[in-house]
Amino acid sequence: MLGLVKKDLLMIKGNIRQVILFLVVFLILAFQENNIIVIVPVFVSMMVFITTFSYDEYNKWDAYAISLPVSRKNIVKAKYVASIILWAIALLVTVVITGIMGLFEQNINYFEMFGMILGCVFSIVLLEAIMFPLIFKFGVEKGRIGLFVGVFAIAGLLGFIFTGIDLENATGFIEIFNKYYYILIPLAAVILLVISYFVSKKIYLKKEF
Amino acid sequence: MNKAIEIKNLVKRYDDNFQLGELNLDIPSGEIIGLIGENGAGKTTLIKSILDILRINKGEIKIFGKNIKSYETLIKEDIGVVLDNTFFPEVLNAKDIDSVMKSIYKSWDSKLYYTYLKEFNIPVTSIIKKLSKGMRKKLEIATALAHHPKLLILDEPTSGLDPVVRNEVLDIFLKFIADDEHTILFSTHITSDLEHIADEIVFIDKGKVLINKTRDEILDNYGILKCNLDEFAKIDKSDYMAYKKNKYNYEILVSDRNKVSKKYKNMVVDKITLEDLMVLMIKGDKIC
Repeated sequence: MLGLVKKDLLMIKGNIRQVILFLVVFLILAFQENNIIVIVPVFVSMMVFITTFSYDEYNKWDAYAISLPVSRKNIVKAKYVASIILWAIALLVTVVITGIMGLFEQNINYFEMFGMILGCVFSIVLLEAIMFPLIFKFGVEKGRIGLFVGVFAIAGLLGFIFTGIDLENATGFIEIFNKYYYILIPLAAVILLVISYFVSKKIYLKKEF
Repeated sequence: MNKAIEIKNLVKRYDDNFQLGELNLDIPSGEIIGLIGENGAGKTTLIKSILDILRINKGEIKIFGKNIKSYETLIKEDIGVVLDNTFFPEVLNAKDIDSVMKSIYKSWDSKLYYTYLKEFNIPVTSIIKKLSKGMRKKLEIATALAHHPKLLILDEPTSGLDPVVRNEVLDIFLKFIADDEHTILFSTHITSDLEHIADEIVFIDKGKVLINKTRDEILDNYGILKCNLDEFAKIDKSDYMAYKKNKYNYEILVSDRNKVSKKYKNMVVDKITLEDLMVLMIKGDKIC
């Protein structure tokens, strides 16, 4: 499995110039607003990672991968592990960027920033957790469309639920969330990823190439 | 005789239009087995079924005496593949492949891999996308050989290559097969390649094995008899396998050239090429 993780990371390394260009452009665009800047690296990491699926599909890599001594289960697992490594790298970049920003600016609210990064990571996890099974099932192009539909559906559903709930009565929940969000968010992210992995695995085990 | 691959009652259904099987086939180890058939006959389907890239509907496949479903990764350690149009993503280079494969095959031999790259003149750091078709194929072959496999499964490894590169590639396969324990399953529609190197020919048509014989058996015994309508009427139906009516004559496929030429003394029975055999069996009217 390690070999497959390496393969994905090498593919991104091969495109490193475009990745950096991408990152710089987005950082410049986001420069006006300090808070938004912190989400750029994680966002770029997701976009870049999706391209590994595109290349795999274009060169029909999966059939070849199955002919190697790696189980289908591990082919799926490798994708998740590679994307997690990429998030870690993206977060590292974020830390460096905030550090640099801290040199120039005095009134940065690090606490707020931490919350934003956490929220951002969570939304990327949510996106990828939905997207990976869709890509494994339908391929990259259709998977992307499926993602948009899925996100709108979820947003609509959540909106519907929240308008139904009397927020006055839910303050207890919000209080708990505000107190423990730094545990709750990562926990939710992990659970989402695990569920997503099992769904992807199930799809991939049946798939033919 | 040891068997490298055993296939029993294999059935693979795609849709209503195509089905592979029921197919029984033994691939003896130590030989080069040529898999021939027209496009869409089921060659790639068979190869992908053997490798479990396609999920079969029925039957059993054993490689090196072990069931592929139960010992998948163990078996695949000893197989090298060159598949048609599927390989590493083209943004990677030969060096990347080495670094990935090192962590995939227990027996990956970097030194041997780089020796092949040098022998084939493949640039190490240019990405696959920039390589010519011949280079790319040779890179695929180097990759398939660098972990000391016992079995090579090759789907159209020579298609699209010029004659010079094709000969180079065939030489590599002959070198590989010099070891008695090595086996090659080689699918192609360039049948002349097989006339040079194959020990045994498996001819597939419409998902079924039509002929499974040694190359010498086919090339020494089979023949092609050309005659006119009057002569054709005189020939016993039991003496030939298939015939094709052309504009001015008949071409008849016979499985025992010597017997037929003795029996019909005034007619000429020619030697056959695998290509003739394929065309007559597919395009001609079959008797058996």
